[in-house]
Amino acid sequence: MGQGGVVEFSYDLVVNALIAGLLLGAFYAAVTVGVSISFGMLDIVNIAHPAFVILGSYIAYIASRLTGIDPILASIVMLPAFYALGALVYQVYYASFERYGQEALRGLAFFFGLLFVTEVSLVLLFGVDYRYVEAAYIGPNLCSTEIGKFAVIQAVCSLGIDMPLRMLVPALVALALFAALQLFLSGTFLGRAIMAVAQDQLALRLMAASPTRIKRIAFAISIATASIAGALLIVIQPVEPSIGREYIGRVFAICVLGGLGSLTGTLIGALLLGIVESFTATFYGPSWAPAVAFGFLLLTLAVRPAGLFGR
Amino acid sequence: MRSSIVFFLICAVIGAVVFGIARLIDNDYLFFAGYVVLQYIVLATAWNILGGYTGYVNFGSAAFFALGAYASVFLYKIYPPLPIPALILIGAVISGIVGLGMGYLTLRLRGAFFAIATLALAVVLQTLITNWTYLGGARGAYVIRPIDVPLIGPYMQYLCLLMLGLVVIALTVARSIERSRLGLGFAAIRDDELAAEASGVPTLKLKLIATTISGAIMGMAGAPFPYYLGYVQPQSAFAFDYAVNSIAMPMIGGTTSWVGPLIGAILLGSLQQVANVTPLAQVNLLIVGLLIVDCVIIAPNGILGLVQRRRTARPFAADPAVFALLFAVNVIPIYFLHELELSQRTLEVIFWAILIFLAFARGRLVGHPWLVALPIAAAVLGVVPGPSWLWLVAAFALTVALVLGLALRPGAPEPLAQGKAR
Repeated sequence: MGQGGVVEFSYDLVVNALIAGLLLGAFYAAVTVGVSISFGMLDIVNIAHPAFVILGSYIAYIASRLTGIDPILASIVMLPAFYALGALVYQVYYASFERYGQEALRGLAFFFGLLFVTEVSLVLLFGVDYRYVEAAYIGPNLCSTEIGKFAVIQAVCSLGIDMPLRMLVPALVALALFAALQLFLSGTFLGRAIMAVAQDQLALRLMAASPTRIKRIAFAISIATASIAGALLIVIQPVEPSIGREYIGRVFAICVLGGLGSLTGTLIGALLLGIVESFTATFYGPSWAPAVAFGFLLLTLAVRPAGLFGR
Repeated sequence: MRSSIVFFLICAVIGAVVFGIARLIDNDYLFFAGYVVLQYIVLATAWNILGGYTGYVNFGSAAFFALGAYASVFLYKIYPPLPIPALILIGAVISGIVGLGMGYLTLRLRGAFFAIATLALAVVLQTLITNWTYLGGARGAYVIRPIDVPLIGPYMQYLCLLMLGLVVIALTVARSIERSRLGLGFAAIRDDELAAEASGVPTLKLKLIATTISGAIMGMAGAPFPYYLGYVQPQSAFAFDYAVNSIAMPMIGGTTSWVGPLIGAILLGSLQQVANVTPLAQVNLLIVGLLIVDCVIIAPNGILGLVQRRRTARPFAADPAVFALLFAVNVIPIYFLHELELSQRTLEVIFWAILIFLAFARGRLVGHPWLVALPIAAAVLGVVPGPSWLWLVAAFALTVALVLGLALRPGAPEPLAQGKAR
């Protein structure tokens, strides 16, 4: 591997690549869900989202280093701070660009500038060394833990399937985040108002709801998800400020692939990309993986611009 | 057409004079640094043809630049004696074709897709080049360049002269587009694409022309790059600096005219050459990123807009959130720079000035013009040499300015507002 040589197919390799891809995909979904809300529903091209995710990683890192609490738990505690940050950024975006209809050029440049300010500030504060966190679930594999003694899991393990908890835990948290957001969006008035703002702002006004306020809340939620996604990222791999850039292409590819404005589409798009990347990494070498997202993006734009689940 | 030829000749004469003066000064570093600034003028002008004239953002300048650079490396490997002007032409053709392809795939859709696709293009091309061992792969490729060139002298000067020629070409192209029917079509797309389409402007065709020209000029800028250092590796050719700078420079200079990118590139380019010799080279990118944020909010039409008095009557300081965010982010470089020695902190002045301006604008808006005194005091305390606790006082003054700027509301009677602010 790594030399670009094609690895021989074997049952174990394929199944494990598939499982790894699914777990990776679920994590990608957590990173993408924020963009799915801001870009897909609110039409705000927040290319700084991955930078906020990295910010989340570093905050989880600091919190777990200083207090020893679990990084994912720390990220949940930090949700209100990220929510406030998101509300602030949206207010600035609205007051400076959206109100004047200048979001296309200047709004994009604004987020691009924010991306840089965040990334370089982190570099200046922490350097370019890779940082990592410690937690009980980083290291052991599923089959070698206490849980692996349950009959169901043992049956899975005996099939030659194993998965590192380092991937499994983030995937489960990501799915929980997804379920919570889906319930919120389809079950509450506020959630439905957010879905509505994507379609008809005038109708929303007639319902006595302010589109700006709804959009601010929605954008703040989208940034809040970056806190959790950041913690998941640093659990999965060591983090360094500039790796956020790798995620820009990936995140928007997933968003477009799944169809804008559809959370289910985002999840399925993320899982697909995760599987394809995992297979590419297993059979052609990991250095090719970044190209996969872009191939996906171009293919989607060329064949079906509305995405798999787009309207 | 005739005015374009005249413009070209004038530019060429100015270029020749600049080159002549540089030869008289005869400092090697001048040529070394000047090359980078000239390269940025070309890149910024190229970006502006698409971004400024039609309003489509290209985040992948580095990709087009690197395509030109690696085309040169490829040609060097198969047929070394090709002269650089030929490499420039080939680089232009290749980058132009890629630009056309990208545009064709994404420009039929919403504008944002193009921006995102260009971002991803940089990642993929970098992956491709990194895995392509023939072109050196991740290790990079060496190009052996002659020491001297007949008639001109040192090779660095020859490269500078070539880049100067590219600047003249790029500026002429940008200016002639601006004054032609093509430019009118571009402006129509920028202002309202739907209306343009409805009045018979062939929008897709025009956008494709813009991406092709813009990509080709970026490729031209990249073609001599391997010969600049004699070595090229993916990380330097695809450096994010190119993407950020080629956006920041037109934004800061002004996007509606060819003068804007020129001003922006000369200003920001020389600023970074100054910042590069300080120990914190990373601060460079921070400053550029911050200037983008500041500029798009405070001066949407760039320096050009300020000069032409086309200031939009937009009270940017009216919204407390805008004031708070701008004030907070502009403190960041001051924080990082303050550990350096005073002589290395010249760039800090810009951000003190912005902070003072912000407080001034906000103070005037809420009817408390004295607010400006706080950042001025902080600036004085921050810059004068003295015991380290002066810094704490400066930081405190800035915090008070931020809090008061948020707490004071326009229109409230004077005593009440002060009482509220505690």
